[in-house]
Amino acid sequence: MCALACATSTALAQEPSAAKRPVTKADSTAADSIALVREMEKLQAVAPAPAAPRAPSAKIAPDISVVGDLVGDLSPDASTQESGARLGVREIELAIQSVVDPYFRGDVYLGFSDVEGARIEQAFLTTTALPWGLQARLGRFLMPVGKQTTTHRHDLHTIEYPWVIQRFLGAEGLKGTGFSVSKVLAPFGFYQELQLSAVDRFGEKDDALQSETAPNKQLDGMGYAARLRNYWDLSQSTNVELSASAITGKREQPALAAPAHDTTITAVNARQSVVGADLTFRWRPLQQGLYKSFILQAEVMHQQNERINAATVPGVYQGPNRDFTGGYVFARWQVGRRLYVGGRFDSLQDPDLGGGTLTAGSGVLEFFPSEFSKLVASFERLSPNGGTATNRLLLQATFAVGPHKPHPF
Amino acid sequence: MLKIRTAVLALATLVVALPAHAQLKVVTSTTDLYDIARAVGGDKIAASHIGEGYQDPHFIEAKPSFVLQLRKADVWAYVGLDLEIGWMPLLLDGARNPKISAGGAGHVDVSRAIQVIDVPTGQVDRSMGDVHTMGNPHYWLDPENGRRIARLFAAKFAELDPKNAATYQANTKAWEDRLNAAEAAWKSDLAAIKGKPVVAWHTSWRYFAEYTGMKIVAYMEPKPGVPPSPAHLLEVVRAVKQSGAKAIIMEPFYDHKLADLVARQTGAKVLILPPSVGGVPGINDYAQLMRFDIAQLAAAVK
Repeated sequence: MCALACATSTALAQEPSAAKRPVTKADSTAADSIALVREMEKLQAVAPAPAAPRAPSAKIAPDISVVGDLVGDLSPDASTQESGARLGVREIELAIQSVVDPYFRGDVYLGFSDVEGARIEQAFLTTTALPWGLQARLGRFLMPVGKQTTTHRHDLHTIEYPWVIQRFLGAEGLKGTGFSVSKVLAPFGFYQELQLSAVDRFGEKDDALQSETAPNKQLDGMGYAARLRNYWDLSQSTNVELSASAITGKREQPALAAPAHDTTITAVNARQSVVGADLTFRWRPLQQGLYKSFILQAEVMHQQNERINAATVPGVYQGPNRDFTGGYVFARWQVGRRLYVGGRFDSLQDPDLGGGTLTAGSGVLEFFPSEFSKLVASFERLSPNGGTATNRLLLQATFAVGPHKPHPF
Repeated sequence: MLKIRTAVLALATLVVALPAHAQLKVVTSTTDLYDIARAVGGDKIAASHIGEGYQDPHFIEAKPSFVLQLRKADVWAYVGLDLEIGWMPLLLDGARNPKISAGGAGHVDVSRAIQVIDVPTGQVDRSMGDVHTMGNPHYWLDPENGRRIARLFAAKFAELDPKNAATYQANTKAWEDRLNAAEAAWKSDLAAIKGKPVVAWHTSWRYFAEYTGMKIVAYMEPKPGVPPSPAHLLEVVRAVKQSGAKAIIMEPFYDHKLADLVARQTGAKVLILPPSVGGVPGINDYAQLMRFDIAQLAAAVK
């Protein structure tokens, strides 16, 4: 269309001189050919000199990279890791990424850990040629619900996700298998992005819980999520992002007693929804950006749980009969070219404590020998309401092998 | 029937006429490419840039506001050779603009027009620091490469906007004439610099060295992108004393404390030179940038 319009436009521009005499088709063709040759000669006259021959860089092979995530737990009482290890390989992630064809890019992340063995962490197709600024994603991916959940755990500024994410969404964040579509908007002059997702289920299945029917037996039992990002530049060096997210779906919740007709049933399905808002403020002076930066981030989430009447379901419902709220505030200062210090305060009504308040304060020290390795030390004090406080001392080393990846923003 | 035909003709005229008035939207990764694009495109393009001249182009943040800049762009021109690898993929992915995506007509890897130097051979790994495996990307600090960039832009703009090809060609010639005149004026400074030993912070001055004839005897960075260690600083001090280097040149975005330390030990002068247009106040175009850097260096090494 553009080529046609441009060609026509050029023809129209030449019209006054052409209109002086009748033009035959043969004349016109010859004139066009001469004009074209002259145009090409002009372009060649200013064309860049040939560059030096280079080693062939064309490649079809995908990018393959590996991230190692090593964690040490030197907590005074006992290891607080899921594996119980004091020193362990928390995860090795193998990423295989490539453009698939003119329409899709493909990303596959395989995870390996001592606790969970080998698994498909993420595997998705991303469209690259949809009209109207749309982008769709199909497969298993990090769910765009909340701010930190969209970051791989090993890329976080802390060793673990904030407690509200761990308790409301999952210790390793939230992944979903399904379909997601997003669109960048700017109707008010600033950046907005709307992300809508539909996934097979909300959260990972707990193998210990078996309900009579799959939570997604009905379409409304699948997981549905939405996120609206809003971003503003306050100045060249400061910006702020304020976003809102929501997810809903049915999940298995524990039942105390199995129904008489099927003793393998251990759960009933109940709707769970999480809504949240997050705020991130960033400061990074452009000229001194190698040495100075600051991030302040806060996120709040509210988990709503369907109240199941025990009389109406098989077994005796033992799932949550209340809603929970929680959040965190995190700040991180860059104190040198390769050194950062940070702190986080968490507070939530913990579903694992029946809604009792869990507070946690932590400090973190990050050192980046290079862009491809990171050493982290973290101290955290966990204080469950009415329980015994726990001190945690965690160490982490991560490394990346393979192509240079973009820095997460 | 006549009314329909008239309406169709009117619509066709409108469709054809719109591109005649539309400017090419050109976004560049750096201010140097922006300045040259602006000179070549004149009022036929609307140009903007992502990075600032006083900012390290390796470490630009992929801010969502840049996505808005890119999503309507007709041309995305970048330095290439992995200079922008830390942020460009996120922006292009977010922009969802097939015109400037890899393979799109408006996706312009400017390094394709350059005779690249420092292309590593043999086994390369990250123990060597932040090595650019396709060669040194700081090529714009050589006026001959500036001309290549301008000619590449003229050809690309003409390809996308053929009706203004003659304007782009004329603008390019005018820009080259101005650069030639500027170059003639700084010839005596080049003579003063030729063969003089200097220390550079990063490998970003390699093309500048090729052009000016200055001899880089040591780098403050032991390996590209790696901050200097105390042991390496001692080596630099030794190299300065042995070679008689009078200047340590570095970009405004690096901390100059360690360079000051070497300067105090050796008597060399720390020269903070802008590597890009806008790198210091008052340097607003490419010829000014080259003139400023050459004049400062010549004064320091004379």
